[in-house]
Amino acid sequence: MNFNKWWILRRTVQLLILALIASPLLGMTFFSGNLAAADLLGLPLADPLAFLQALIGGRVFVLSYLGSALLVVAFYFFLGGRSFCGWVCPVGLITELGDKLRRRLGSGEATIPLATSRWSLALVLLTVAATGLPLFEVLSPIGIIGRAIAFASLMPLLLLAAILLVEIAVSRRIWCRSLCPLGGFYSALARFSPVRIGFIKARCTDCGDCLHVCPVEEVLAPSLERGARQVTAGDCNRCLACVDICPTRALQIDLLYK
Amino acid sequence: MELTRRDFIKASAAAAAFAAVGVSVARPKGAEAAETGITWGKAPCRYCGVGCCVLVGVKGGKIVATKGDPAGPVNKGLNCIKGYFLSKALYGKGRLTTPLIRKGNKMVEASWDEALTLIASKYKEAIAAHGPDSVAMYGSGQWTIHEGYTASKLMKGGIGTNNLEPNARLCMASAVVGFMNTFGSDEPMGCYDDLDLGDTYILWGANMAEAHPVLFSRLIDNKLKHPGVKLIDIATRKTRTTKMADEYIAMKPHGDLAAVNAIIHVILRDKLYDESFIKQHVNFKRGKENAPYGLKDKEVFNETPADIKNLTFDEYKELMKQFTPQWGEKISGIPAKKIEELARIYSDKSRKVNSLWTMGVNQHARGVWVNNLIYNLHLLTGKICKPGENPLSLTGQPSACGTAREVGTFAHRLPADMVVMNEAHRKKTAEIWGIDPAKISAKVGLHTMEMFRAIDRGELKCIWIQCTNPFQSLPNVSRLRKAAEARKAFIVVSDIYPTKSTEVADVILPSASWVEKEGVFGNTERRTQQWFKMIEPPGQAKADTWQLIEFAKRMGLGHLFPYSEKGFYKEMWEEYRKFTIGVGKDLAPYEAYAKVRGLRWPVKPDGKETRWRYTETDDPYVKKGEGVKFYKAPGNKVNAWFRPYEPPAESPDKEYPFWFCTGRLLEHWHTGTMTGRVPELKRAVPGATIEMHPEDAKRIGIKNRDMVRITSRRGTIVLPAEINGRSTPEKGSVFTTFFDETKLINELCIDAFDPLSKEPDFKKCAVKIKKA
Amino acid sequence: MPTEPTHTDISRRQFLKGSAITPLALMLAGSGIAAVYLRPATAGGFTLRPPGAITEKRFLAACVRCGKCAQACPYKSIKMAGGEAGVGIGTPIIIPREMPCYLCSDLPCIKACPSGALDKKLEDIEKVRMGTAVIIDRESCLSIRGLRCEVCYRQCPLIDKAITIEPRHNTRTGEHTIMEPVVHKEKCVGCGICEQSCVLPKPVIVVQRTVEIQKDNYEF
Repeated sequence: MNFNKWWILRRTVQLLILALIASPLLGMTFFSGNLAAADLLGLPLADPLAFLQALIGGRVFVLSYLGSALLVVAFYFFLGGRSFCGWVCPVGLITELGDKLRRRLGSGEATIPLATSRWSLALVLLTVAATGLPLFEVLSPIGIIGRAIAFASLMPLLLLAAILLVEIAVSRRIWCRSLCPLGGFYSALARFSPVRIGFIKARCTDCGDCLHVCPVEEVLAPSLERGARQVTAGDCNRCLACVDICPTRALQIDLLYK
Repeated sequence: MELTRRDFIKASAAAAAFAAVGVSVARPKGAEAAETGITWGKAPCRYCGVGCCVLVGVKGGKIVATKGDPAGPVNKGLNCIKGYFLSKALYGKGRLTTPLIRKGNKMVEASWDEALTLIASKYKEAIAAHGPDSVAMYGSGQWTIHEGYTASKLMKGGIGTNNLEPNARLCMASAVVGFMNTFGSDEPMGCYDDLDLGDTYILWGANMAEAHPVLFSRLIDNKLKHPGVKLIDIATRKTRTTKMADEYIAMKPHGDLAAVNAIIHVILRDKLYDESFIKQHVNFKRGKENAPYGLKDKEVFNETPADIKNLTFDEYKELMKQFTPQWGEKISGIPAKKIEELARIYSDKSRKVNSLWTMGVNQHARGVWVNNLIYNLHLLTGKICKPGENPLSLTGQPSACGTAREVGTFAHRLPADMVVMNEAHRKKTAEIWGIDPAKISAKVGLHTMEMFRAIDRGELKCIWIQCTNPFQSLPNVSRLRKAAEARKAFIVVSDIYPTKSTEVADVILPSASWVEKEGVFGNTERRTQQWFKMIEPPGQAKADTWQLIEFAKRMGLGHLFPYSEKGFYKEMWEEYRKFTIGVGKDLAPYEAYAKVRGLRWPVKPDGKETRWRYTETDDPYVKKGEGVKFYKAPGNKVNAWFRPYEPPAESPDKEYPFWFCTGRLLEHWHTGTMTGRVPELKRAVPGATIEMHPEDAKRIGIKNRDMVRITSRRGTIVLPAEINGRSTPEKGSVFTTFFDETKLINELCIDAFDPLSKEPDFKKCAVKIKKA
Repeated sequence: MPTEPTHTDISRRQFLKGSAITPLALMLAGSGIAAVYLRPATAGGFTLRPPGAITEKRFLAACVRCGKCAQACPYKSIKMAGGEAGVGIGTPIIIPREMPCYLCSDLPCIKACPSGALDKKLEDIEKVRMGTAVIIDRESCLSIRGLRCEVCYRQCPLIDKAITIEPRHNTRTGEHTIMEPVVHKEKCVGCGICEQSCVLPKPVIVVQRTVEIQKDNYEF
């Protein structure tokens, strides 16, 4: 178990998100909604993919809604990569825990290419355009967890259980890595974000610890091999596990073209 | 008894068969198949004073169905929604099934013997130390006639105190005094047939649509059949009654006292009266004025013969000159033009005019006066004692008339209009009861408000409450609850469910209700209705008569009740009936009631009922050729009283700017102890709301269903606002209902009462309103 | 993280365990998804949506299922549908028998909706059309049978507008009035308070889809 500072901070944020979603149950009013759309201290926030689906499928346009979606887009664009998946998404938290179990059981190593999530995204957008059915909002385990917390709507959690089962038994974090269209959305978005993982090749001892902890090692490995100055791939979770674990501080948080 | 029961079963089987035919149109077919094996019996409805008849289906010792009795003359097979769920009132959650005795803060189960012996010892102790006037009994207009009679005989004839009161003091005591001091006999001359036969109905502060549902449906049918029929609703708020009325006349609270006087003024000024009727039947009188409001403890006010002045008609006319329509408008808010119009309607020879009223007039700091004044309208115009043309005071409890008024369970009353102050009356009563006349005290007992205040003062040591819930229903109830909670008196409560009153009891006794015992009720129109016991009460619950008589035995008064076990109800009835024979209140032999859906007294020697009293067309006491004869009044002449305007006990001011009025709604009844346990009714109307005028609400910033804090000088309560709902009070006043036991709205009500009837004014006090 | 055992050499036992769970997991996931997707949102009949909901098909797309309307509802009338609602999973519904809409004049649910699934242009609560109340079983309706019930009428927040009483002579008793509640669809907002308050075990007045008043050229 790693108790380094980023790990602690990231877990805290993940748990705080869950607490925020649960807060209205305790009669608190500073937060409402879930990760699809929310209101935090009067600031409206919206999931940009949900916005797109509502716009395409429902043919409704609300300016404030666009604003709140753009706000979120800007935020994650700044943080870069799939920081939403690594820091905010409760499904990420749960599948991470599932992954621990999987490793212990030593089952289901198979993976699917990360790019699949972009295809998922395309499928979602095409479906909603063609049929008006917001495929992702119907299926979204993120929404399911949010509503399970805020409204005790527990039956749909079965879907999450199914995802977990598949991940533990068959394929390592298949949902988050390769299928989630929202992940695909953010990874496409975050190519050019200013916050990156910087790599100082001179310090690297090739110990491989970073690759071992990285949830998307196929993103990290080529960068390291290339000796790139920064990891720019949108699929990076920004979980900072590599920064935490690197014994020589060869990996660091870096800003755009420093 | 056996014979009558068989007769009855035959009769009710026929009725049930009729019902099957009559109702099948509207009932799903499956219902009839499911009805096999059910024994049907007849009974009056347990709830209000209308007196609807129901058929009760019993199977395996349980009520499995009820339906409106098609043979019932009042309702012809219909019920209101409360009556539809009637049987559920017995099968609600939490029925009391065993006697409970207070041990500290806990109520502990006890045997009947323990409980009754304890009560008897407490009563004996109090009587020995402080005399018989230190104990009391508080009963109900829901008591059966037998229960009221047992209580009266026990308290007045046995214990020797007149500290016996019914909750009817809170609902129609003003009507009683009005009838007595105008006509010399209690209860209406007219009956429900007037609702079918008249053509003009003037409602004085009565929301019949909700408080007398089936009766209202009958009144509206008259309107549907006869387009000329006019219904005028004079009230302080727009209700469901208003909606179906032809005209609504908004009146300020307490304005009736001025409005009726002004109408009379116009009738006299324009000589619209019936001079020959007045000459033949009416005396004019002036009573004692500047009466107090009963707010001080032990305040005494009596209108003795010495206080009463006789007036000539001219003197009366002269006195009435001051009450001009303009004056009436100023005080009542009813436009002078409307007052003139109403005078013309009342005196229109081509119109059959009826006045209908209930709590708006009775729960009034000058309730008796308004009753008197409404009678004046009818007496001056001669519109009385004719089919379709009468004043009719509507009652709210199933036997307020039968028990509280006819048996006389008030602190000053004896059966059949007699009073304890009258030696001859005491003598007659003692004779029928087989006791020494000296045993009956001539001293009027404590009236309801004084009775409960006496607990607070420590003067009343023991009180037994049956079949009613005073610790929710009395005005300014927090003072009384505090006194009870401080254990200032030994309190016994007999009821079927835990209530706000059992909460403060020292002994709780489980009672049998409705068809769990045999009984007789008397409704608004003098109709006496009997029913047999059909099912066993739950657990150890017992009829109130049994409880009282077992207590009497322990008090050494068992000899007062020498009836056989089998013939109990009939034997007691026949004894009670002796009071009624020959005094214009004649009741029929017990068997007669088993066969019919009630009879309206006086029952004629041939067993037929009387629909209209004091008239040769129907009343057996009036000979042919006599026309109208008020034979119960001295000299056969009734009294038209001069009653001036006096202000209410409390009016809105700067600090408390709103009028506060309380009342009923259709779905619930009284303090909701029964209807609140019927899930369907609870679902329909779960709790009390505060009705406001939309403009008032807007001004204070209150939206529909916002929580609102209502505060009077006596208490404060929070209720959701109801704006533009079923009723809308006039600007400057708010209204709420008293059924909700989670909201003791009577904490807000002022304990001012009418000086003559001692009936509290639940309709008027001042409150302030704030968004909560 | 501490070093984990390597997994390259999966033991036979582990492999078996994995392969036994695999089809089970796939089946469960597949059937869960199928159960939701093969079920239209209206499988349970008409779904009562919060005030201002746009047409059902567009609503299903426009609603992002965030639950803010339900959180804004002071009476907890708005509930979030579960898997039984098919593709309507996670959308807000009102089940009148449990808790009807009490028509807050400030429309907090509409204000809370971010996406416009609840129409923000709606400002007057009386203009809301969630549905229309219909007496579906006249033979069972106690008021139509002549009893003095009319609970739906008296509880209606638009009393005398959305529901009125049409009195008529009761031929069965000959002397009473049948006070029949009549719903007027041009006024009824479909809040469901009547359905909630109906005293019968199966409410005889229920909210159904609003059928627009048909226009024709006939004048009367």
